[in-house]
Amino acid sequence: MSASWPSLDRHKVAIVAQRDLRDAVSELRLILAMVALTLAIPIGSAIGVRGLAYFGGGTAVVERLALVGAFFVVFIPASFSLVLALESFVGERERTTLEVLVSTPLKEVEIYAGKVAAVLAVSLALCYGGLIVYCLATFTGLGYFPVSTLIALALSTICQVAAMVAGAVIISLNARTMRAANVMASFIILPMSVVLQVEAALILLGRAEFLWGFAGLMIVLAAVLLRMGLDGFSREALLAREVGLRQPIKRAAAALRTAFMHRPGLFRLLWHRRIPLSIAAAGLPIGAGAGFIAGLTGAIPGSVVKPVLSSLIQAAGEDSGAFAAIAIFSHNVLAFAFAVPLAVLTAGVSGFLLTFAPGFLLGYAASQSSWSVAIAGVLPNGLVEIPAAIIAGGLAIQVGAASIHMEPSGGWTARVLTATADYLRALRWLIPALAVAALLEVRLG
Amino acid sequence: MTLLEVKGLTKRYGDVLALTDLTVSVDEGACLVLLGRNGAGKTTALRCMAGVLAPTAGSVRVDGIDAATEPAAVRERVGLMPELPGLYERMSARTYLDYFGSIYDLPPQTRTRRIESLLELFELKDAADRWLGSYSKGMRQKVALIRATLHRPRLILADEPTSALDPDSARRAWVYLKDLQKDGCALVICTHSMEEAENLSGEIGIMSAGRALAVGDLSELRRKSGLQTRREVRELPTLQDIYLAIVGNHRDQHERELAESRSA
Repeated sequence: MSASWPSLDRHKVAIVAQRDLRDAVSELRLILAMVALTLAIPIGSAIGVRGLAYFGGGTAVVERLALVGAFFVVFIPASFSLVLALESFVGERERTTLEVLVSTPLKEVEIYAGKVAAVLAVSLALCYGGLIVYCLATFTGLGYFPVSTLIALALSTICQVAAMVAGAVIISLNARTMRAANVMASFIILPMSVVLQVEAALILLGRAEFLWGFAGLMIVLAAVLLRMGLDGFSREALLAREVGLRQPIKRAAAALRTAFMHRPGLFRLLWHRRIPLSIAAAGLPIGAGAGFIAGLTGAIPGSVVKPVLSSLIQAAGEDSGAFAAIAIFSHNVLAFAFAVPLAVLTAGVSGFLLTFAPGFLLGYAASQSSWSVAIAGVLPNGLVEIPAAIIAGGLAIQVGAASIHMEPSGGWTARVLTATADYLRALRWLIPALAVAALLEVRLG
Repeated sequence: MTLLEVKGLTKRYGDVLALTDLTVSVDEGACLVLLGRNGAGKTTALRCMAGVLAPTAGSVRVDGIDAATEPAAVRERVGLMPELPGLYERMSARTYLDYFGSIYDLPPQTRTRRIESLLELFELKDAADRWLGSYSKGMRQKVALIRATLHRPRLILADEPTSALDPDSARRAWVYLKDLQKDGCALVICTHSMEEAENLSGEIGIMSAGRALAVGDLSELRRKSGLQTRREVRELPTLQDIYLAIVGNHRDQHERELAESRSA
């Protein structure tokens, strides 16, 4: 996947965007519905917050509620972006207008950017219009205006909208009809609902720096998804890709078989995957460094990390024997088993965490005692477990990389299946290694 | 000068071979008519010629430009009119045509002048400010034809350009296309109308199951079909007779091959 973004003619992008914008606002009922929601929700929320303040709600409660209200105000219009994007891409495709558009000299990137810009413009205008109305109606005279939190919220909203639009493009490449696209939109709505719940929880925590971190993550997510959408958005994909072929189960079985065929042996595979393996290997020292700094500075309270460390120490020390070995082994196998499906959803971050998380705990433990004590606690079982985690982490990172890599010619499923097959084949070696590590841990403590 | 040169063009969609080894060429001011049943590969051929789809094998050159390496430059020189007009329902004809004119970088004055004269020619001026969603099938097809030719392309690729038009409008459309042809524009037309194909007096390609079974002018096709030597045909065979003979022979041969492969 090329890291550079293709060049585009901004004038052409503006032409496409203007038409789509005009189309989006050409239906009076649609405008009325959108404006009504944009105004009704902020005004209703503002009345609720001010009413609570007036009738003696505690300051902390009113302040938290004021922020949660802001979250709802931007969330509802943001959800329009998905509908508008599906309509803009799949709808055009269904009405055959997209074929005409792709037969012009416009580049793929210009069509894509123009359509994304139009959807973003409508959605963000509604989000920010609502937010401005809400802020004016809620915070005026309240004596409380959390600028930093609101800016972080506004920023993460842009990224959420961008992520949903990019997701809609990816769906449009795989759905022939609006009905199919609406069903497939669940794949965006469900993860986004989790994201929004996390955001709501962070707002309730009332720590602006967490919201900024969240906004940063959303920027990365939006960039990755926009890039995926762009890579997959091609004339070829829109007009020629086979969709809805017969015998789907037979074809899926054949694809699965193909994924396992002609794959290299373990050592050759490790050589092929040296870059993701290096990233996974780097996770351990990076995690150790981060954990050490977190422990020293108290950035993460001891009350959060210490119980985890204590439970690990207890698990290793209390039950010696077969039961403890099985418990350790099962725990590690479970972590390895979850790493792959999570890698698809997290773009491989779960693979990185396989080494980063133990590294973090090691570093944190070192900050509370010393490096020699912490490392002594890891040895000798780490001699087997850490290389196994690096291999599993590297191969899971590869699965994640495959899941965010799209090509105009398609082949996404084949690439993800092949990377997963590599991981599953490697487990033939990794699971016995985990068993040895568990035995060592129990025997040698 | 050869404007369109297609050599060994093959296009595969996954397991489906839509087009196999198509070789045709069209000179400046000439016309190629593609005949064939639905699914014969005509639309795929047009899309590849328009630089919209990349060939699986073979090459397409328009005005000397390779469609595989410079598809955008090819699309600038081509006007594609797909079978379905693909119009934006909530736009007026005037705004719609202006939109496509601006995509092709036509200066505002030029595109206004051309749009107005073409709307006049196709008797759409009175309806030009109505939304396209309210247009009849024939009116839509006229707008699609104007859109495809607005930027004065060197090559026009049209899939059944007059199928929805009344006889008078169809005649007007053909006169317009022939005028463009006289100015050096090359035409590739897909049609099911044998009469239209005969009247266009250019080369004719007969396609079936993704293959070009025969390409040539009417007399060449007569010879290839073997019909001109048959005594029972008192008059010269029509294109309809030729088409049925060629496609029928191919189908018989195809069925024989299938039966042989089954028995083997």
